[in-house]
Amino acid sequence: MAAGGLNPVDAVNAVNAMNTTPSITARTAAQAALDRPLTLLICALGGEGGGVLTQWLVDAARLAGHRAQATSIPGVAQRTGSTTYYLEFDPRRESERAGAPLVFNLSPVPGALDALVSSELLETARQAGNGMLSAERTLVLSSSARTLTTLERMAPGDGRLDDQALMKLAAAFSREHHVLDMAGLARQHGTVVSAVMLGAIAGSGLLPFERRHFEDAVKAGGGSSASTQASLKGFAAACDEVASARTRGAFVAQVLGTGAAASRAQPDDAQPTPAPVGQPSNAPSAAAQRLLAGDTRFPEALRPLLTLGCERLFAYQGAGYARLYLDRVASVLQAEQAKAAAAAPTPGQPAEEGPITREVARGLAVWMAFDDVIRVAELKSRGARLQRVRSEARAGAQDVLKVYDHFKPGVPEFAALLPAGLARRLQAWDARRQARGLTAWALPLKIGTHTVTGVLALRALGLLKPLRPLGSRWAAEQTLIEQWLETVRNGTRQQAQLGLELARCCRLVKGYGGTHDRGREQLLHVLQHLAPAQGTPAQTEAAAQAVAAAREAALADGSGKALAEALRHHGAPPQAVREQPIRWVRKPPRTSQKAEV
Amino acid sequence: MEVSFSQEIESLKLGAGQTFHGEGILAVTKALLQSGVSYVGGYQGAPVSHLLDVMVQARDYLDTLGVHVEACSNEASAAAMLGASLHYPLRGAVTWKSIVGTNVAADALSNLSSPGVMGGTLIVVGEDYGEGASVIQERTHAYALKSGMCLLDPRPDLPRLVEMVEQGFGLSEASNMPVLLELRIRACHVRGSFPTKDNRAPAISTRALMSDPARFDYMRLAHPPVTFRQEKLKVEQRIPAARRYIVEQGLNELMPGRHEELGLIVQGGVWPALQRAMQQLGLADGRGNAEIPVLVMNVAYPVVPEQVVGFCAGKRAVLLAEEGQPEYLEQEIALHLRRADVQTRLHGKDLLPSGGEYTVEVLARGLLAYADQHLPGAVSAEGRQWLADITRRREAAAAMLAEPLPARPPTFCVGCPERPVFSALKLAQQQVGDLHVAADIGCHAFGTFEPFSMGHSILGYGMSLASRAGVSPMMQRRTLAIMGDGGFWHNGLLTGVQSALFNGDDAVLLIFKNGYTSATGTQDLISTPAASDKASADDKGRSLAHTNRTIESALQGLGVQWMRTVHTYEVERMRQTLVEAFTSDFNGLKVVVAEGECQLERQRRLKPWVAGLLARGERVERVKYGVDEDVCNGDHACIRLSGCPTLGLKDNPDPLKVDPVATVLEGCVGCGLCGENAHAATLCPSFYRAEVVRNPRWGERLVDGVRRAVTSWLRAA
Repeated sequence: MAAGGLNPVDAVNAVNAMNTTPSITARTAAQAALDRPLTLLICALGGEGGGVLTQWLVDAARLAGHRAQATSIPGVAQRTGSTTYYLEFDPRRESERAGAPLVFNLSPVPGALDALVSSELLETARQAGNGMLSAERTLVLSSSARTLTTLERMAPGDGRLDDQALMKLAAAFSREHHVLDMAGLARQHGTVVSAVMLGAIAGSGLLPFERRHFEDAVKAGGGSSASTQASLKGFAAACDEVASARTRGAFVAQVLGTGAAASRAQPDDAQPTPAPVGQPSNAPSAAAQRLLAGDTRFPEALRPLLTLGCERLFAYQGAGYARLYLDRVASVLQAEQAKAAAAAPTPGQPAEEGPITREVARGLAVWMAFDDVIRVAELKSRGARLQRVRSEARAGAQDVLKVYDHFKPGVPEFAALLPAGLARRLQAWDARRQARGLTAWALPLKIGTHTVTGVLALRALGLLKPLRPLGSRWAAEQTLIEQWLETVRNGTRQQAQLGLELARCCRLVKGYGGTHDRGREQLLHVLQHLAPAQGTPAQTEAAAQAVAAAREAALADGSGKALAEALRHHGAPPQAVREQPIRWVRKPPRTSQKAEV
Repeated sequence: MEVSFSQEIESLKLGAGQTFHGEGILAVTKALLQSGVSYVGGYQGAPVSHLLDVMVQARDYLDTLGVHVEACSNEASAAAMLGASLHYPLRGAVTWKSIVGTNVAADALSNLSSPGVMGGTLIVVGEDYGEGASVIQERTHAYALKSGMCLLDPRPDLPRLVEMVEQGFGLSEASNMPVLLELRIRACHVRGSFPTKDNRAPAISTRALMSDPARFDYMRLAHPPVTFRQEKLKVEQRIPAARRYIVEQGLNELMPGRHEELGLIVQGGVWPALQRAMQQLGLADGRGNAEIPVLVMNVAYPVVPEQVVGFCAGKRAVLLAEEGQPEYLEQEIALHLRRADVQTRLHGKDLLPSGGEYTVEVLARGLLAYADQHLPGAVSAEGRQWLADITRRREAAAAMLAEPLPARPPTFCVGCPERPVFSALKLAQQQVGDLHVAADIGCHAFGTFEPFSMGHSILGYGMSLASRAGVSPMMQRRTLAIMGDGGFWHNGLLTGVQSALFNGDDAVLLIFKNGYTSATGTQDLISTPAASDKASADDKGRSLAHTNRTIESALQGLGVQWMRTVHTYEVERMRQTLVEAFTSDFNGLKVVVAEGECQLERQRRLKPWVAGLLARGERVERVKYGVDEDVCNGDHACIRLSGCPTLGLKDNPDPLKVDPVATVLEGCVGCGLCGENAHAATLCPSFYRAEVVRNPRWGERLVDGVRRAVTSWLRAA
């Protein structure tokens, strides 16, 4: 193992040597500060131009005469995973440097970040969670915009994280923070978010560069003149916003107050959303209000909600149906008031409506106006809807807009409109088909709803409305609604919390086709197995917890695994396994095929 | 590939007296040309794809130097290319992603190292380790040890990096050993600058050809009996020669420090983090001066025993910061100390974690333990506080959150042609039952993430079909193997298809034919649509994958009898085809070719074309999907079946409804999957397809006018 007879001393001397320095611990604090690079971490998502932003910053540093180093974990570019870019800058110009150049490092150091710039709120919070941000040192420049993760979007209920919680993390782990709607600014100026992020950095005063250095870097970056101009506009907007916020010095209040509210009011979508069209127009409103006006059963606080419900059901199936709605709500109100009175009798006080009635009034209106072919046709043929599509698709006045709707009515949809007997025969026919290994029958349609025939077809479907109560689905829905209401009332009589949890279960029934069927089965299962007909206080309390757990599990996980686990945990029987035709695949014995050849 | 590297190519042309500004991997590329390299090859993969991509696009310029560039079909073929330097004094360089690529190349590397090289050979490997990495298992170091190659792990400072490339060729020629140059992800992407030199046209090149082959020389073959002699040469001549070169050229660096009784040894690539860790603890300043001497090993193998022993001798204790496991360096240094009977205490993995990235925090915690033991009181109070604060902050943040934040894994691009196939597969499994899915490397591996969560094994690039060979005979249901065209050509055609056919296996193979190796940066393949087809296409946004049928011909040529080609966006047809494959009476290999060109490439083609049309005032049709917010029920079944990033959520505008509704975000490219899924899955009628025609023709405008008038009268308010 001898290396050509070199002696150890020669070997060490032969490697590069540097002058020994006096003790480092003896340095002053001021020296130490100048000895430290300015550090900046950028969080972006793939495809947001983080690489371009990094290049701009490096170029700006060079133009300003500072040394800089950048590096990145680009992730899998363009595929919306999270990506990070890390930069270090010499706080002094090269011309002012004394001694050796600063040694730059390649990765961010927790607690030693001067700034974090992030295009997405969850990514900001993630860095706080990693311990990266320090309340003593880090300036946080974050977008209020959320790009939801797949996990958040997948839940059958509402799987979104709470923006406020994320915002609090950013506030708690920063010496100063500015939260602005970067995505909105980018959109407004027709540019990408990277330009806006650059503006925020420039406006924050983090780097000892002049504004023109940043702007010149953008201009030097190439690209078409139009895109450069758009970048500069987005840059200026963010730069001014952050700079003026700093001079006002009122960020904290702004961020915790309106900043958060604004982000919720303006969710992911870019398009200016026109007024909600979920509610029918004014005509039935008056009639609905008349209906409600004569009804003295309800407390005042409940009336705005009931008005909405009445309007919807009046438009859906007329005055009688709206009246049925009010009667149903009243029955729950009565049960809730009775329970409240029994629990804490306060004579002389007018009975107030409680959370159970409120939840039933809301959910029942949605359920009773269940989405069938007729309702969908009606919603899709509204004039306001075409206006909304125009704006969502960003079609200009001179542009031709064609709108195609995807429908695939199957046997269940047709059977829904037929009387029970006929519906059963139709469904039996389809079941036999499926047993033979065929797929369920359905009619895929792509209807051009901008065409005359398309609109006529939708309007014709809408005309079937009077026949709706004759259909099998109508009967089935009313039966299930009654069953749910009865369970809610019964639960309420036992314990208010149980009633409330059961009332909230109406959220399970939604969707179309298979999704709807599954939701209905889940609700039935909960009603049958988790809601006791009668029980001790301890039992009803446990039941309330079980109902809540099962409901939340079903709404969190579309595959049903979480629900199965929740049912098992609370000692309820599992849901029945769905029937599925078995397909046998012929598996030949493993004889040598080659031998026969 | 539609991405242009014209700017990067310009920086390759820089000469003496100029300054290069750019990324580390491009600096290495430039350094190859400054070193007079004759040929360059490789296989793409993060983080070194750029080296080859830029070289391939720079072919015209390289031709003026006489440098040959080869985009190899896999790493084995790239490694075998280095065989040119066995007999001829040619400098050659190849590149790939490690450890995976090195594993594929192992055979050729072994047989290259045995006879030893005459011309300098450099293998630039992207050591995909630490944050953001995809293959963090195993170390390239092991290959240097077992095959007898040098391993450079230089300080990631561009001038030093460039110097080490040039020195790498010298080291290789001095020792006859191939040289591995290991670059971590952040080092590949580091942006810095260095003063350039003129590129050197190689003495032997495509412009200065050799007239005759070398004379027959058995010693240049990795073949018995000479392999026994070659093994001796490795130990007796080559490694000592390499050690001499390392010492003479000062490839390793000694950073002095006041406390000479202590010492730190570190791989070059980890040095900046160690320096920062020392600074954080008050043991160094920001300009490379430290309290404790540091030996920086820019050459991780071979170790020069005299150098490490000389460094350690007379010290009380030395800490070795060696990233990765097993601790090869630590074992070797301990051995040298033992042999030299030097009693200096050697710390390494006893104070530092065995695996994972050596970040500043990780190193600082190890240093703290080391200093507390051997230099009590040296670490500053601020340093201790800084480390304690990190822990405290993490706990505080976790306490503020109800549950851990959801991860954000990468996913299929918006409009990716592979997403619809996974939708169809999800639907098909509802019919035929759950399947054993042998997954593979490539974009389609995103199918293992939500909302699809499919895949039972990933054994290697192109290995899916081979990896189910033991499963299918044991299972009642047929198994599915998924492969991209990248994997198919890299390995899958032989290891999978040929083997399945030869053995008469009953299996289903799904090939994603998108025309590129997309996951590594959409490099071209033998099955990439021809440039002429792209030029002549009327609609630049249309998939052109069908224009190249090399995959189908290859499969037919091998004797595949059951093959169906389905356009990926036809979800219902894809579902039916998959069900047919799983239930068919045909018992051999069934191949479904899912055809749809990579959306990234299509968009790069489409955008300038549309911009041109609009600028000229010509007719342009744009498609966007949307969701009717009042019809949407907020159950998000569509998202669970697609996962498209532009299918988002927004608050329900209906005050009576609670759950957020689906909404189509701005980035939608109108791929049509939403509509296809709504049909195939009988989802929900809330999706609409909007076709917006800019600059419509007069006939279109007339029809539209009439339609608008009539339908507005027909519509409800």
